[in-house]
Amino acid sequence: MPVFDQGYQHWQGTLSGHAGRWLAIARQGIKAQLRNRRTKYLVIAAWTPALVLAAFLALWGLFEQKADVLKPFMDVIKTVLPLEIFEGPRSFRTSLWTIAFDAFLWIETGLALILVLLVGPDLISQDLRFNAIPLYLSRPLLRFQYFLGKLGVIVGFLAMVTVVPAFIAYVVGVSFSLDWSVVQDTWRVLAGSMVYGVVVAVVCGLIMLAFSSLSRNSRAVAMLWVALWLITGVIAGALVDSTRGRFDPDSSSSKESDRWWALSFGANLNRLREAALNTPEAYRQVVTSFQSAAAQAAEMAQGQLGGRNRGPFGLPFGPRRRPPATPPPPTPPGGPPAMFDSRINPPFPWTWSAGILTGLSLLSVLVLSNRIKSLDRLR
Amino acid sequence: MLFQLRDVTKRYQKVTALRGLTVSMPEGAIGLLGPNGAGKTTMIRTLLGLITINAGEGEVLGMDIKRRRLDIRQATGFVPEDECLFPGMTGIEFVGYAGELSGMKPRDAMQRAHEVLDYVGLIEARYRKADSYSTGMKQRLKLASALVHDPRLLILDEPTNGMDPRGRDEMLAMARDLAHAKGMSLLFSSHLLPDVEAVCDHIMVMGAGQLLASGRIDDLKRHEGRQLMVRTKTGQDEFARALQARGLEVEPKDDGLLVSLHEGDGPEYLWRLASETGVQIRSLLPRRSTLEEVFLSALAGAAKPNAPNSQEVGAA
Repeated sequence: MPVFDQGYQHWQGTLSGHAGRWLAIARQGIKAQLRNRRTKYLVIAAWTPALVLAAFLALWGLFEQKADVLKPFMDVIKTVLPLEIFEGPRSFRTSLWTIAFDAFLWIETGLALILVLLVGPDLISQDLRFNAIPLYLSRPLLRFQYFLGKLGVIVGFLAMVTVVPAFIAYVVGVSFSLDWSVVQDTWRVLAGSMVYGVVVAVVCGLIMLAFSSLSRNSRAVAMLWVALWLITGVIAGALVDSTRGRFDPDSSSSKESDRWWALSFGANLNRLREAALNTPEAYRQVVTSFQSAAAQAAEMAQGQLGGRNRGPFGLPFGPRRRPPATPPPPTPPGGPPAMFDSRINPPFPWTWSAGILTGLSLLSVLVLSNRIKSLDRLR
Repeated sequence: MLFQLRDVTKRYQKVTALRGLTVSMPEGAIGLLGPNGAGKTTMIRTLLGLITINAGEGEVLGMDIKRRRLDIRQATGFVPEDECLFPGMTGIEFVGYAGELSGMKPRDAMQRAHEVLDYVGLIEARYRKADSYSTGMKQRLKLASALVHDPRLLILDEPTNGMDPRGRDEMLAMARDLAHAKGMSLLFSSHLLPDVEAVCDHIMVMGAGQLLASGRIDDLKRHEGRQLMVRTKTGQDEFARALQARGLEVEPKDDGLLVSLHEGDGPEYLWRLASETGVQIRSLLPRRSTLEEVFLSALAGAAKPNAPNSQEVGAA
């Protein structure tokens, strides 16, 4: 027998409005998932690229100012960068920020897909397994708010590894540039990163929730997610390879076969990121600059050799060459190197990706609304 | 009024779960009785606004069941029949989370969770994972999570299912305490008539989606005017034969005799007969019907062809 039994006491506190109830679900979901050690480590690991990005932007800001702290390294930097960039870094600011954010978001997208794999499968399937839905819906909570709360868990985690670090890195970059014009030049990079982060979070969140509502078995849900991600990529790659052989090996046919990449979930996310950040333009500017510098260097090297033919391994040895009667015209820059070709000339329009991802999201919403139509169907 | 429903119909494809259900219950402890498939769970879901009805209207605690669903759920606590848990939580997290879902601030919800877990007797087990609880503890946990926001109406769907006798008694004692000492209204759905009788003042009996009977339990358990329970000190068999010899219906029941008197006769007839036969009567009580009989008679009335919709059968 308790010494003092206070019995049931009425509660006199105040309640919040109905609109914010989904936040309790999102908060609880994030708290629960952060107890998983693998999730915690992955979130921490996902911040490493953000540190690299912030460091790069800070260094670039210092480089633009030709800061004293970089003076010992200027000679090295001069040999690495084309003269055009070395002497006028501000005109390359937007492009280099864009490429830096693109690389960062590319890595983070991969990590985000793994994070969704860890966080997402349990969200609804576990509630189905434990029959928790009646407990939720007998509260002053709409089904929509339940889904919003669950979506909030995925969005929260993906924001932790995309939008938030991108924003912080941007602020660090702006702070080190000591020049407000940097905001004018790079606001689109920030806006594009934010838009892309939100799109990834919403699309991945909706698809994962739809998968999670389909089965009480979280492993089956995880397999569905992996299948969407990896198998679509493998299928698209196989189709690209198989159709490439059917066409003539000229560039336009090769481009046509590359359009099969539109079947890959990951490729569509990448294509959308390229569109949000306008990366083709950035790569074009930077790659062209490097190509021109390489061409100039080659010419200068030829001049220094004094017409001597290059020997083995490109060394300046060999018989003296007869000087040409007329100087050759400067070599026009050819196409971009193969590794940058797809970056500068995307294989398919971004609107395809937008359409495909919108379609997948709508399909997911349809699955969710049909799957959890009423309490009866849940049981 | 606790709740009112008027001509409520709910169909699930070909099955009609509620057929023009009309009922009006006052505040207090209401027992909800009915065989399987009677529509009890559908009615509870209708009251909570969890399903959309095909026809009819109604109010719970004065709030329209179609337009103010969230407000009704805000003022209501629901203990579902099935085993259902928020996964991966300790008892205290479970109840605190339920409070947050009802709109309580996290700190308030956690503080209140301790109070209600103490009330339901789970304070010692509050830091254990809820999925490791026994069936009885899970029932208590569901009760605590339904009470956390201090509802005006508590709906208990088979709350003593799977509980041992001691746990069942404690659960019933809590339900009784909430209804009678704390001023909380209760809708207590159960197949166990003694449980309902132990907790509730009123009952409503449902069958085939309709209301078969409703009213105060004391009124429904009416006096069977012409039937008396007689216990004698000695010579009970002899007295029974004497009664039968005078054309009375006599049925041995428990340790006495259930005697049906002729029209117009009263207890004095038995006293006179006892005097004549030299039998000493120890007790003579008018017989009252049991809740089970009320329940069965309501179902039987509904089963008869062309039977009227026998509301308030007992009170008649």
